[in-house]
Amino acid sequence: MSQQPLVELHGVYRSFEKERVRIPVLQDIHLNVYPNEVLCLVGESGCGKTTTGKIIASLLDASEGEVLYNGRRMAEYDRKERSLIRRQMQLVHQDPFASLNPAHTIGQILGYPLKRHKMVNGRAELRRRIWELLTLVDLTPPGDIVNKFPHQLSGGQRQRVSIARALTVNPKLIVADEAVSMVDVSIRIGILKMLHNLRDMFNLAIVFITHDLALAKYFAWEGRIAVMYLGRIVEIGRTQDIIANPAHPYTRALLSAVPEADPNLTRKKQPIPLRSDEIPRLTAIPPGCAFHPRCPFYQPGVCDVSVPRLAQAPGYAQDTACIPLTTGEQLVPYGT
Amino acid sequence: MFETVATTTGLIIGFFCGLLPLGLGIKYQQIKPGIIGFVACLLSGFACGMWGGVPMIILSTSVVVSYIYVNRQDPFTSRQSLDEVDFEESTQEYIVRQMASLGRTIRAMSRGLLRNKGGFIGFLGIMFFVVMTVFGPLVIEYEGDIQMDRRQPGATTLLQPPSWEYPLGLDWWGRDIVSHIVYGGQNLIITSIQAGVMSTLIAVTLGSLAALLGGLVDQLISALSNFILTIPQFPLLLVLASILEFDNSFMLAVLLAVLSWPALMRAVRAQVLSLKERDYVEAAITLDLGLYHIIMREIFPNMISYIAINFIFAVRAAMYAIVGLVLLGMSPLTEPDWGIMIWNSRTQGAFYSAKGITWALAPIVAIALFQLSLILFTRSLEEIFNPRLRKGL
Ligand SMILES: Nc1ncnc2c1ncn2[C@@H]1O[C@H](COP(=O)(O)OP(=O)(O)OP(=O)(O)O)[C@@H](O)[C@H]1O
Ligand SMILES: [Mg+2]
Repeated sequence: MSQQPLVELHGVYRSFEKERVRIPVLQDIHLNVYPNEVLCLVGESGCGKTTTGKIIASLLDASEGEVLYNGRRMAEYDRKERSLIRRQMQLVHQDPFASLNPAHTIGQILGYPLKRHKMVNGRAELRRRIWELLTLVDLTPPGDIVNKFPHQLSGGQRQRVSIARALTVNPKLIVADEAVSMVDVSIRIGILKMLHNLRDMFNLAIVFITHDLALAKYFAWEGRIAVMYLGRIVEIGRTQDIIANPAHPYTRALLSAVPEADPNLTRKKQPIPLRSDEIPRLTAIPPGCAFHPRCPFYQPGVCDVSVPRLAQAPGYAQDTACIPLTTGEQLVPYGT
Repeated sequence: MFETVATTTGLIIGFFCGLLPLGLGIKYQQIKPGIIGFVACLLSGFACGMWGGVPMIILSTSVVVSYIYVNRQDPFTSRQSLDEVDFEESTQEYIVRQMASLGRTIRAMSRGLLRNKGGFIGFLGIMFFVVMTVFGPLVIEYEGDIQMDRRQPGATTLLQPPSWEYPLGLDWWGRDIVSHIVYGGQNLIITSIQAGVMSTLIAVTLGSLAALLGGLVDQLISALSNFILTIPQFPLLLVLASILEFDNSFMLAVLLAVLSWPALMRAVRAQVLSLKERDYVEAAITLDLGLYHIIMREIFPNMISYIAINFIFAVRAAMYAIVGLVLLGMSPLTEPDWGIMIWNSRTQGAFYSAKGITWALAPIVAIALFQLSLILFTRSLEEIFNPRLRKGL
């Protein structure tokens, strides 16, 4: 991909201060988001997916490192350009009950950004555009929705309103943070399909955040996956490469737990047991590779000494952060 | 401003204001809301003249319109495709639609008011006192001078227990206590409300600023409020009241407001701090809707019930403080006044005489009932302003 990325993260660190303790949440993140691609961020709860998503959407600043939007830092743009860039990146929140203001009707929620940024001329056009948007996200007939308040809609409908609201400002990128995890399973697929259609229609890039590798596999089959662990990206590459041939022990473990559609395949799968189920706290991240206390292929003296960097390992198409793999060694189970 | 209070002119204004909702109601066969709207206009016109009648026209007409308005011609309900739908809307249709939605909101609010029994009783209590202070003077004359002629044969004082003629008895000077109760609330209630409004305004402004701007502004405001909070309030009030020796009640309200905003400011600050982390505020930031929109449209509507409840508390606190000052003889208020009634009855020894017991108790009961009504009413406020109880058109 030689296109100009929409967003580039170069060596980004982010920490939060909580009761005078510094919590490092993101460390040394390198990540590009290209136009019209699907990129999935996958990882356990608390590994920093949302924080990464908010940095991409320019809602949070990096503590260290460089974030480029269309090739330039935010500070290099003037006020007007900054507003435009910010609007190019929209966020769809996880919780559809919290992301719509209970005091506004759906028509108002969609109308405010349209009016504010003069995307429409006059009332007729405003109404027309709201009609259009609601139809786009399959909320039809619009008349049943437009004058309702968010609390009168179901979770799935609200999530659709939330997506329609993101579309009001013609974004180039949508960060969907666990966008379907709080929606009934039966309507998830509908919303995911709709996101795909919208991506094709408006040439959108989608950063899809999820803790569920199976969902990532389904949603980003044509795109890329970045697997995160404790604030770092441990593996990144094309979804098909990662699913077919996972490199990092953490990805392998995650993947071995994903059920297959074919029960015979599921039965044949060898689960890869971790040495520990305990996720270390962010204030006490293990030295060296953060995953080594749980890694089934732990090599003492190698993994707990220096921090692995993302690189292509021999025999793999994707990049991975695992010292034995990138130096071309075979992984051997710990203790044998 | 209130020249037309409770006069025939006010009644006429109210009558003409009420014709609009009534006429609309009759024309579109929504008789009940029409009549209610008419009565509401009549009463508020009578009570406050233009200041009551004109706003009430808008409100009551909106309610009537909201009953009449059925969504029939709205393009949004159309199941046709985009090109076949006409999105044009004349200004008149637009206004009607806006009024209908305002009417809906008012109906939801009154439902919220009716839902909580305690709160509704509180509301009735407040209305009772409002009606008493506004309309009472029409039927009862104020007795300010000593009434020597009421002295009963053989009695040593003019003090009298309740009788058919004087239901609450007579005070030391032979004046009808009922008239003092009716006239004595006005100044006290208005001064308390003034203090409450100012205190709330200061608290909301400073609290939002502290929460939204943070940093130095936040520290300065918090330091100032801590400073005021640590000084014992009532003694300070006493000292200030005696130093300033003000002669009008508005100054007293200002002083009360200046001393009482910190507690509410802290509450507002905490509320804004929590509201500004909401996802919908974050969405407004990425949509670049601007700071003004975020404060006025995203944060404020979700705080109204909270602010209203705290406003009521501020009014209560101000009323207690004023009565306290009066009892210590340091208030600029003059007769007729409930606080001064308590002071008078105490200094004339009514507490020690069976004849004077109503004189001493009547103002205390009036103040207590008013306070109780306020407290009960706060229970309804939550429901009145809760947007989750609203339904769209
Ligand atoms: N504003 C904040 N202040 C303090 N700590 C924060 C803040 N935001 C996030 N964190 C911490 O950063 C860590 C990572 O948070 P983040 O929300 O990015 O994780 P996540 O991968 O999205 O997790 P989840 O799957 O639970 O949503 C958490 O431990 C969280 O407590
Ligand atoms: Mg998250």
